[in-house]
Amino acid sequence: MRPLDEAETTQVFEKLFKFTSNNLKNIVESPSHEGLDKNPGRYCFRLHKNRVYYVSESLVKRATNIKRENLVALGTNIGKFTKSGKFHLTIQALNLLAANAKHKVWLKPTSEMSFLYGNDVVKGGLGRITDNINAYDGVVVFSMSDVPLGFGIAAKSTQDCRKMDPNGLVVIRQADTGEYLRNQEDL
Amino acid sequence: MAEQQEGYQIDLGNLTAFDPQHQFQSIPDKREDLVKECITYATKLIQAVADSLFSLPSTEDASGPIVPLPQPTTKLPREKPLPKPAPPTKWEVFAKKKGIQNRKKDKLVFDEQTSSWKRRYGYDRVNDDNDVPIIEAKMTDEPGVDPFAKRRSEKKQRVEKQEKNRLYNLKEAAKVGALPSHVQLAATSLPITGTQAAPRKVSKDELQNVAGMAATSTASGGKFDKKLAGEKPPKHDKKYRKFLPVVEGSGMGSLEKQQSDKILNKLMAKNSHEIFNVSKAVDMYNVKSDKKRRNQQGKSSAMSSKLKVKKSPYKNAASKGSSKKGSSSKGKSGSSSKGKSK
Repeated sequence: MRPLDEAETTQVFEKLFKFTSNNLKNIVESPSHEGLDKNPGRYCFRLHKNRVYYVSESLVKRATNIKRENLVALGTNIGKFTKSGKFHLTIQALNLLAANAKHKVWLKPTSEMSFLYGNDVVKGGLGRITDNINAYDGVVVFSMSDVPLGFGIAAKSTQDCRKMDPNGLVVIRQADTGEYLRNQEDL
Repeated sequence: MAEQQEGYQIDLGNLTAFDPQHQFQSIPDKREDLVKECITYATKLIQAVADSLFSLPSTEDASGPIVPLPQPTTKLPREKPLPKPAPPTKWEVFAKKKGIQNRKKDKLVFDEQTSSWKRRYGYDRVNDDNDVPIIEAKMTDEPGVDPFAKRRSEKKQRVEKQEKNRLYNLKEAAKVGALPSHVQLAATSLPITGTQAAPRKVSKDELQNVAGMAATSTASGGKFDKKLAGEKPPKHDKKYRKFLPVVEGSGMGSLEKQQSDKILNKLMAKNSHEIFNVSKAVDMYNVKSDKKRRNQQGKSSAMSSKLKVKKSPYKNAASKGSSKKGSSSKGKSGSSSKGKSK
């Protein structure tokens, strides 16, 4: 387990920024009340076996007592670095992203299942969409009851979405909660 | 061995012979003639030295007879001037005043505890301060004071005081010019020109560092050079990458926080044009300013010109600027003003 170095931190922050933009500050600097200290520590990012974890500082201190081979995970896994050094966000980051998302998309109940099976979002399944989405922005996908389902990349901006035909792709899916069942071994 | 052989004085220890009775009849004008005369006369003297050499008892050796020379008899003059008398040291002054005589001490002292003869000082000495197992508490002791630590600190103080006195004595001697010779040599190894400061003695570590730097300053980084005997392998910490500490220590300011903040700010700055919607802010600003102007015009018609407060344009602009910031922050997230300030 080690903290991220500069290059890695920039990669992680950039990916997160796509979804949260300004609220990235909240993510990085949120006080955590987990530890026994009166002063709330902060949350930090740690790299362990090519996975990036978002974990409070008090937890990190305690996790240093565990051997590296025996440590499986700590805090919240938000993503992993691939063999070629690129950073991908995984579904476990959903909670964090959903709380701080800038651009949101709500799905109709009929198309929820389709999304959870791993398909992209078509315009016909779109319930609501926030304004000011540009193309290729990070977008968090919710159900109509505000339950986060996953996240992805907006294929078109909001204006274009209105003009599109109902079968056009709106959101390219990157991760969805169905993965918890499909990719149990990977996570 | 002074032999009155023709009045020569022969000093076999220095292999010389002197003729005190020789006189030049007439000193020749040219130097070469004088030299020739001296040489011709000196050959006789050398002959005398050789004769007396061969008359000494000799021992046979593989290379020939060996003759041990006697002690020289000629007194040579002093090479260096007489040493100046050193000023009395602090202790000497005190001893003289009190009339303390210097008593000769034995190296071995009988130790009652072990009933053996122990040294007065040095390894395994009598009355060693570190050996006492128990120190009884006295009425004058404060509670919470460690007597062993106190003894150690007292000894340290005594040693420091002694060192101070030694340096003082040396300084006093140097003032008179009577430094002991080894100190004098060290002090005078100063450069003739340039700074008066003594040349800094390079420590072993420094030398090793410099040697390492020189060794690696070849085209291939010193990897394939032949190593001399006793030369240590090049020191390079295996860490080619530096990482932050995993857990932040309790020191001032955490590096990790700084690093993440720096990256965050860079990111925000790069994308601040997206964060802050300029056109929207400008529209809001214009609307607000129009409203204000309309209100002012209404008010000023009611008030007299004298009482009318002169409102500087800058004051309004500042208030409008702050209101613009407030309104734009409502439109976007809270830190949009930060993005704008970048």
